[in-house]
Amino acid sequence: MTTTRQLHLGLMFWATGTHTAGWRYPGSKADGAYDIEFIQAVTRIAEAAKFDFLFLGDRLATDPALAATNPAQMSRLEPFTAAAAIAAATESIGIVVTANPTYSDPYTIARLTASLDHLSRGRASWNLVTGADAAAAANFSRAEHWDAEHRYDWADEFVDVVRDLWDSWEDGALVRDQESGRYIDPSAVHAIDHDGEHFRVAGPLNVARPPQGQVVLLHAGTSERSRELAGREADVVFAGQSDITSAREYYADIKARAAANGRGAEEVLILPGLSVIVAETTAEAVAVYDRLNALLPLDPEDEVVESVRFGGLGQALKRNLASVSRIIGVDVTGNPLDAAVPSSIADEVNEDGARILARITTLTRRTLDATGDARITYRDLIDGIARQGAVVVGDPIEVADHLQFWFETGAADGFNIFPDFVPGSVDAFTRLVVPELQRRGLFRTEYEGRTFREHLGLSVPENRFASEGAAT
Amino acid sequence: MSARQLHLGYMYWANGTHPAGWRYPGAEHVRAFDPDYIVELARIAEAAAFDFFFFGDRLATGVEYELTNTSVIARIEPFTTASYLATKTSRIGLVVTANPTYSEPFNLARLTASLDHISHGRASWNIVTGADGRAAGNYSRDEHGDANARYDRADEFVAVVRALWDSWEDDAFIRDKESGAFVDGSKVHRLDHDGAAFQVRGPLNVARPPQGHPVILHAGTSDRSRDLGARDADVLFAAAATIEQGVAYRDDIRRRALGFGRDPDDLAVLPGLTPIVAETTERAREIYEELNALIILDDDIRFGGREPGHWAPSETIGRREDQGPGLRNLGALSQRVGYDATGHDLDDPVPASVATGFTPVGRQLVGAVERRTGRTVGGDHATTWRDLLHAHIVAGHLVVGSASDVADYIEEWFTSGASDGFNIQSAFLVEQLHAFADLVVPELRRRGLFRTEYAGTTLREHLGLARPESPWTETDIAATAARA
Repeated sequence: MTTTRQLHLGLMFWATGTHTAGWRYPGSKADGAYDIEFIQAVTRIAEAAKFDFLFLGDRLATDPALAATNPAQMSRLEPFTAAAAIAAATESIGIVVTANPTYSDPYTIARLTASLDHLSRGRASWNLVTGADAAAAANFSRAEHWDAEHRYDWADEFVDVVRDLWDSWEDGALVRDQESGRYIDPSAVHAIDHDGEHFRVAGPLNVARPPQGQVVLLHAGTSERSRELAGREADVVFAGQSDITSAREYYADIKARAAANGRGAEEVLILPGLSVIVAETTAEAVAVYDRLNALLPLDPEDEVVESVRFGGLGQALKRNLASVSRIIGVDVTGNPLDAAVPSSIADEVNEDGARILARITTLTRRTLDATGDARITYRDLIDGIARQGAVVVGDPIEVADHLQFWFETGAADGFNIFPDFVPGSVDAFTRLVVPELQRRGLFRTEYEGRTFREHLGLSVPENRFASEGAAT
Repeated sequence: MSARQLHLGYMYWANGTHPAGWRYPGAEHVRAFDPDYIVELARIAEAAAFDFFFFGDRLATGVEYELTNTSVIARIEPFTTASYLATKTSRIGLVVTANPTYSEPFNLARLTASLDHISHGRASWNIVTGADGRAAGNYSRDEHGDANARYDRADEFVAVVRALWDSWEDDAFIRDKESGAFVDGSKVHRLDHDGAAFQVRGPLNVARPPQGHPVILHAGTSDRSRDLGARDADVLFAAAATIEQGVAYRDDIRRRALGFGRDPDDLAVLPGLTPIVAETTERAREIYEELNALIILDDDIRFGGREPGHWAPSETIGRREDQGPGLRNLGALSQRVGYDATGHDLDDPVPASVATGFTPVGRQLVGAVERRTGRTVGGDHATTWRDLLHAHIVAGHLVVGSASDVADYIEEWFTSGASDGFNIQSAFLVEQLHAFADLVVPELRRRGLFRTEYAGTTLREHLGLARPESPWTETDIAATAARA
């Protein structure tokens, strides 16, 4: 039995793609957000490739303005119901559901997650978010959006109550003995009698203990409170750093916090998000990247300000040279978009500009010094300022090299793969990259276990109340 | 052709409705959390062309359910399970119970709308305001709130949910790859609801449900509950136990619906019913007896003393005092029938002279025993105290008999205006669901009372209900007309 450390892969699923123009890409399904059969089919692609999990994000407010910046998040199926339908169409893949404690109750979330775990036979996971959308408050009869401290105080206690509720039925509590008429063992059913600052919950839950004991917990975030919660509670941490230096810092920090909470380094897995644009050849991959960006509309040159809609929904930089100029510190307005940028600009741009130029070269292989089509254009500058997250563009070997480097140099335990367009990006990654990772021994060729915990190499936690039961 | 037809719902209880059903030989009793089992039941109901499969709910539990209803002591959550079933079935409606008292309209609107998309128009929401006061203890509340407060909240809650369902017009999405236009923002609407209980800006982040509005169910007998049902519900889950009660309830609901400007024929009143069915009347009665023999009575059959330690740490689990042990004895029965029976042996016949002095409740128990077993007070097969005690414990709406007995019963309720159909429950599973589907449903079809196959694909279509127009569309039309 090999014990070589292996990558963990999640698929961050937004039905119309994580790229703003993903839904427009040829072959993409523009109405996928409400097509459950399509969502199930895409999940089965990821499952056939032995992904650890499918990830359903969430937010609790919307505005049609999001169509311009993030159409996939503008409207979609509710995650718990979507996850249960996905569970019905799959066998092995973990299913991550995002839910925000700020606008819910522990009893409700404990039931939904525990029930999903039963339906999926141990494949459920809860991604705990505290909600960055201030606009959500207005949908929940709240006068104001709580500040981060308040939200994390609430979330910390919330998680503790949910964990108690999951454990309120011991594994053997349902006796169900027809002969004696004993359906339950009352000594194995526990009131939790939680009486805290934010919650008073008597319990027990009215759902049997989840098959995984404790449902897998995900968390993401970079604030102090978020890191603290992740180090203490999360089994998987979804990281957002786009450069390897900050990714390593984050990785080390979370592992250290886990250790401070008495947890092993292997008990908290850190998976950065990553958009992967892959094709048989580097040139084809760059062409896909360019084609995606070409589907993003440009804004008129005289619009400079960020288009901030109410509550921050739909916020984005204008796509024009005015925005570029403001960010790189050099006035490039008025230039033809497809003209090559003179190499002298390298000496004029500010730090952000230098970073953006380097990033353009990394993604497109175009440079300031090359000739012909290999030169950076003004259009590249517009595309270059738009994307904030981590992106890799290349052939299967280049992409696998990238993943392996992060994985082996203390930046990641795996990745949360962002498909820019669906199903094309999922097809390409599973067809081209996964076999290469498997060849390198970096990724499983079969699921070894049946539950999400088993995919992650995590054991079933002991029941918090088990000792009480044993004592009686 | 268009003769009025029965509507049949199937209410899911993992272990059946009879308190000892789970103990019946061969009965399912360990599969409450097994999705394959729930799928199996739903597919039987779907093959029989039931209108819907119905999940009840409560937001608390207690150990006393071990004796009264093991199906609810620990069970799977309705929204996730209904969504799972949506993938495993294709026609049957899916009814999910949810309680506004402990939820938010935005969350409920999303869950129901999403289930409607996933099921392609088969979702329904059963609104309950919560009979189990222990829920408050699980939701950081000091008290459950009185019924009026709960209904005030529920009334506003439903209005907000409907407005959220409507916040996207049906054709709000453009999704034109060529032009890049994804949505028509003028067809996405904020609510800016500012009410007594809720302030909700909207819009929802889910497209308008395929049914426009998912079907709404409601149950209840109070004045407030009847108003909510008559105003907002498409299906009423009634608790009537006799035809007279059924007719009175249905007439009242229809009258109230008319008062709210609705066509009373748009409401279906479906009482709950547990048929115990077999090939013959005699066999069905035997099954009823066999089930009752499995009921656990109090250790002290006279006064209800409890075996010490039966529920050792029960104090920690907040057991309800009005249920469970202490009620399964002659003393408790005596209080109900108005006669001190504690001096009798369980198998003593009930003297006719005593029965004539019973309370109305006591006389109902005598009637129930007669209908279920054929035994009568003072008859050749005399009703015993045990029979009355069983009828007292097995308190639901039961009918025991052959397929034609049960069909007669259903037809009588239906034609006399006491119901528009029934919400069928099984005493134990899976046999009794099969018995109803294989024996009674064909008999109802022979009589022309029930569909032979689904005519439509949505629950609204099964119920013969039109899809509600978007109010925004109507406003637009009105505005256009006004300008013209």
